[in-house]
Amino acid sequence: MTQLKLGLAYGLLSTRRRAGALVLPIVTTATGAFLLVLVLGMASGISAQAAALGHADEIQRAVVLIAVTVLLVGVVEVAVSTTRTVVHRTRELGVLSATGVPRPPVVAALLVEPVIASVAGAVVGSVAAVGTAAVLGATGAAASGVSPTGIAVGVLVAVVVSAVAALAASILPTWRAASRPPVRSLSSGA
Amino acid sequence: MAATTLEETSSGTLERPAQIEAAAATLRNSTIVRLLRFALANVRRRPERFALAVFGIALAILSVTVVRTISSSFAITGSDSVTRVLDGASLWAVPAAGVHYDSEVGAIVADGPAPGLAVPDGWTATRTIAGVWSSGAGDLALYGSDAIDDGTAVVGSQAAETLGVRSGDTLAVGSADLAVTVGDGDAVVAVPEDVAGDVVGGNGWWTLTEPADLAGRNDLGSMMSAETGLPSTTDPAVQPEADGEGLIYDAVGGSGATTFEQKFSALFSGQVTSSAFGLISVIGLVLGFVIAISSFLAAVQERRREFGIMASIGLADEVLYFFLVESALVFLSAYLLGITFAGVAVWLVVPQIATPVAWLAAAGTVAAYLPAMAIVGALVPVHRLLQQRPVQLLGDSA
Repeated sequence: MTQLKLGLAYGLLSTRRRAGALVLPIVTTATGAFLLVLVLGMASGISAQAAALGHADEIQRAVVLIAVTVLLVGVVEVAVSTTRTVVHRTRELGVLSATGVPRPPVVAALLVEPVIASVAGAVVGSVAAVGTAAVLGATGAAASGVSPTGIAVGVLVAVVVSAVAALAASILPTWRAASRPPVRSLSSGA
Repeated sequence: MAATTLEETSSGTLERPAQIEAAAATLRNSTIVRLLRFALANVRRRPERFALAVFGIALAILSVTVVRTISSSFAITGSDSVTRVLDGASLWAVPAAGVHYDSEVGAIVADGPAPGLAVPDGWTATRTIAGVWSSGAGDLALYGSDAIDDGTAVVGSQAAETLGVRSGDTLAVGSADLAVTVGDGDAVVAVPEDVAGDVVGGNGWWTLTEPADLAGRNDLGSMMSAETGLPSTTDPAVQPEADGEGLIYDAVGGSGATTFEQKFSALFSGQVTSSAFGLISVIGLVLGFVIAISSFLAAVQERRREFGIMASIGLADEVLYFFLVESALVFLSAYLLGITFAGVAVWLVVPQIATPVAWLAAAGTVAAYLPAMAIVGALVPVHRLLQQRPVQLLGDSA
């Protein structure tokens, strides 16, 4: 347990050091979260638009499906950035395992970064969406109004989905990197 | 190299194994195959990143394909419904109240009585009563015109399914009993005009066909407009003026390359692509592209030394081909995965809207974006590399 805690603390420190590399994944996740929260918050307006086309229920479901998919696309960028981090830190990982640090804390340390990036992205996107929804509601641009419940559900879904998806997509590359024999990690060029 | 002789022919000996061997060697050594093998080797070095990039782009393609499937499905619906109305006629005179597509019954119905029309000599004019008929089995579109023989009804196959009738059966519409003929695959029940008038009232429109000597002219709309005083247009987006007499849609005139049916169906699909829907899916596609670029840039960053060696032995532009092939590999895999996902997604989420034809049309439209994305995706990292001198690339430790 202490080991895991130390691993998380180590991960937090190295995440702070690499904050620059997190900007792109945060932006992509935020875009996805922004859209998802807006779609769920303005569901009634989209329903009205869908009703004009017929098949209102189906269109509504499809809109939510697409918003979630776009959020996932944003989160995949988090995982791509994790693969980059892992390659970048191969030698460091070699040093860690050569000095006898077991695998779980190393993986925990590596997973801090994707989780922080995805949650930060989801939060930034949600804040932006809430702001936009408030402006739209105040100026009357959203004819059918903005539903606070929808926004709350949207924020929750955005944060949970992006954190879980980032973990799920990042766990394989980090696990593989932490499982390499230290000799190979230490001797590799990068 | 000694060639094995396989058979003797009149023209000499065939050295087939050697030829095949040579052909296989040419194939193995051909540039494109080598590039592919090189790209595959690089994919194998970072399988997770390849998988993630493909998965991310596939999700982006999924979102665009779903939207396009829905929009082409609407376009097909729009085109079918207007084709059903026109039925080969050239002009379509609609009431001042207009017509609309009723998505419940799946056909176009009129919102007011057909305009008064003094039909010039030689023209064939058919007045159609069109409304929603609440049959015992559900709402259906009812079209009434003189083109249908008394005592009969032509029932579209979808409508026949709803009503549970087959050719030869008798269908009770209002107070009339009609002999059923099952027609094409639409959801319209066509009956004689007086029967329809009793059931759905007098709302309707005229369809007009020109006399043979005027066939092929593209100013039929304005000719008829001059004869009848009704305004005419070739643009289905124009609505009749509410306080006017009506409007003539000219389905064969106009100077554009698109037909009236195509313009009409574009109105339908435009409703989807220009809605919140279309915007979200385009943003998804942009994010997918960002993933592609970022994973290629990561590859460049990690392989600087390798590219330094290539650059120092004089390969510069060739690097572009390496990336083009890798990029094509990524986008092609993502495309195949994405349209498969999309097929499953539309089948699960919007089963009533999605048809295989619409899905195929969507997959085709999306395929049109891919080459551009793959090429730009490869150009960005190469541009990065070419800005640096080999010495710099070689000197850096990644």
